[in-house]
Amino acid sequence: MAMSALARQAGVEVGMRRGGALMLAPQSQFQQRAPQLEADAQQAVAMALLQFTPQLAQAEEGTLLLDVGASLRLFGGIRALCRLVAASMEALGFTAWLSCAPTARGAWLLARSNAGRALTMDALVRRMDRLPGSLLPPARPYLSWFEGIGCLTLGEMRRLPRPGLQRRCGRALLDMLDDAHGERAEMHQWLEAPASFRAKLELFDRVENAEALLFGARRLLQQLTGWLSARQFAVERIRLLLEHERGKVAGPPTVIDIMLAEPTWRDEHLVRLLKERLAKQVLDAPVIGLCLEAPQVQPMAPPSDSLFPEPGGSKEDWQRLLELLTARLGPENVLQAAPRADYRPEQANAWVSVQEKIRPADARAQLPPDMPSLPRPAWLLAKPIPLLMRDHRPYYGSPLKIMSTGERIEAGWWGAMQTRDYFMAEGEDHAHYWLYRERTGHEGEQSARWYLHGLFG
Amino acid sequence: MSRSATSPATLAPEAVHPSLWLASQLAHSATRCADTGFAALSAQLPGGGWPLGVLIDLLVQQHGIGELRLLRPALLGLGKRPIVMLQPPHAPQALALAALGLEPSQLVWIRSGAKSGDALWAAEQVLRSGCCGALLLWQNHARGETLRRLHLAAQSGDTLFCMLRPLAAAQDASPAPLRLSLHTAPGGVNIGFVKRRGPQRDTPLFLPLTPSLLQRHAPLDRTTPATAPARSILPALVG
Repeated sequence: MAMSALARQAGVEVGMRRGGALMLAPQSQFQQRAPQLEADAQQAVAMALLQFTPQLAQAEEGTLLLDVGASLRLFGGIRALCRLVAASMEALGFTAWLSCAPTARGAWLLARSNAGRALTMDALVRRMDRLPGSLLPPARPYLSWFEGIGCLTLGEMRRLPRPGLQRRCGRALLDMLDDAHGERAEMHQWLEAPASFRAKLELFDRVENAEALLFGARRLLQQLTGWLSARQFAVERIRLLLEHERGKVAGPPTVIDIMLAEPTWRDEHLVRLLKERLAKQVLDAPVIGLCLEAPQVQPMAPPSDSLFPEPGGSKEDWQRLLELLTARLGPENVLQAAPRADYRPEQANAWVSVQEKIRPADARAQLPPDMPSLPRPAWLLAKPIPLLMRDHRPYYGSPLKIMSTGERIEAGWWGAMQTRDYFMAEGEDHAHYWLYRERTGHEGEQSARWYLHGLFG
Repeated sequence: MSRSATSPATLAPEAVHPSLWLASQLAHSATRCADTGFAALSAQLPGGGWPLGVLIDLLVQQHGIGELRLLRPALLGLGKRPIVMLQPPHAPQALALAALGLEPSQLVWIRSGAKSGDALWAAEQVLRSGCCGALLLWQNHARGETLRRLHLAAQSGDTLFCMLRPLAAAQDASPAPLRLSLHTAPGGVNIGFVKRRGPQRDTPLFLPLTPSLLQRHAPLDRTTPATAPARSILPALVG
């Protein structure tokens, strides 16, 4: 039986009747205990905590045992590790009692009574001796007998003669006490991470705002991080399914697919990407559940540390930045140059999304060899501006003076045919413009049209 | 007693603290600077170049008057580091930038998204990541707090961060330690010093910046557009 902190403030106590609780807190809700949901939650927590140690076992009464002996140095000591575990639990949305002890059963006893950390055997024994005997499950059927002989704490229980205790209460109680004191080798069945990852989360309410889903997605990402660490994988692609209402208005789940240029196994970058993607997402229907999948993984490659950090950040940082920008602005707005070997300026100046992989050598090979001698403006107008003619001179703000000999471009007979003569011109404001004269089929000065096509940056 | 009275007067202010300078002299730059490539301009800037990791305000009379040619030596000095162009007024042409010496693979063109704040958000992300060599941001309107925010973000790295804004913005206050105005002039640009850590300079500095092709050929002073001459400068490209 459990209750929320608000209920406790209202004066509700464990063991109250339903009516009594309702009288004290009229808006309280009653939930039946669901063993299946509890098991699922414990599984989810176990998955997330796998990021701190591969040796994790489920124990009785909703506890998880983590062997962190080998992880202490990596995470910077027991205090830092406890903070990380607590933060991870908070991100998952669960409350937990966290205890550490030299023995697993000792840690279990401390955690069951929320007695904190005991880092040496002496401290553990001192602290355990004060704990009530009812904590041990095998001792519970004999509690009245223990009370009758005035044996209330674990310390007193341990001082009883062993043969008599074994005869009355069975071997299990003695084994547990020995485990806690480190006098017997403990055996655990370590949890194995499944071969593929798929985590689901039911939301408490119908969510209509995509940004509000980030909270749930963050929980699933915590589990993903744990799974990736346990299997030593890095994820290349993740897929978040937003499940909509079932029933009459049932629809297929909305899929958010995120491809990563650099495989990662940390969640900060994934959280940032998901945040931007969710902010862009428009929901057709309220969401009632989330599901996270990792369809594409590869073995984790640890980063190679260089002795001297590079000045401009690493290549991974740059890729991460591009991914983040793409996630918010859309792939069509974050572009890289992909020049093509074409005479027509519009076709030659192609820009594609940064998600496409272009080898720098390929891009360079597409450039003409005598580039510096080509008059090309830095800015190309998306649509050429037709120019007025005044005194037989093109006019754009002021009369333009042609400054260069013409460059004839005539190409594209297979598609968008262009027959143009390009000139550099200077206005009276001394800015330089790139003009072209459309050459029409029939000769004649009257039919020649002038267009402004670029600006020299 | 007499020493203590006279020494503050004789002591040069820059010897007291590196961020002090007399109003008649240029300040020392606290940050690293990139060479501008123009000796006349470098001599007028504190630190002798474009300061890195701060907001530089370039106020242009209109787009396409040589702002990229002005920045070209500094951009070339960045080596292979990426250069981000954030919402430029027109489509940048990779061929022209390659002719300036910039590799196509180091160029990234970011168009602003649907929301107006997207460009500023993107600028801040680029500056904070610190892996770009240069960020050129074209922005017409910017409020004081966004400028301050970008200036702060720029200080977290050593990115060459230029914000290109219209001339009208010269009236508004800006946290940028260096603000230059660019005007067109025959055969180059006139650079006005709106704000710098140094003495006030009212006369603009003229820099010859013509497109590279025009430097090789004498300007043709013709009133009517010439019909294509028999010998073109680029016979290989015709047709």
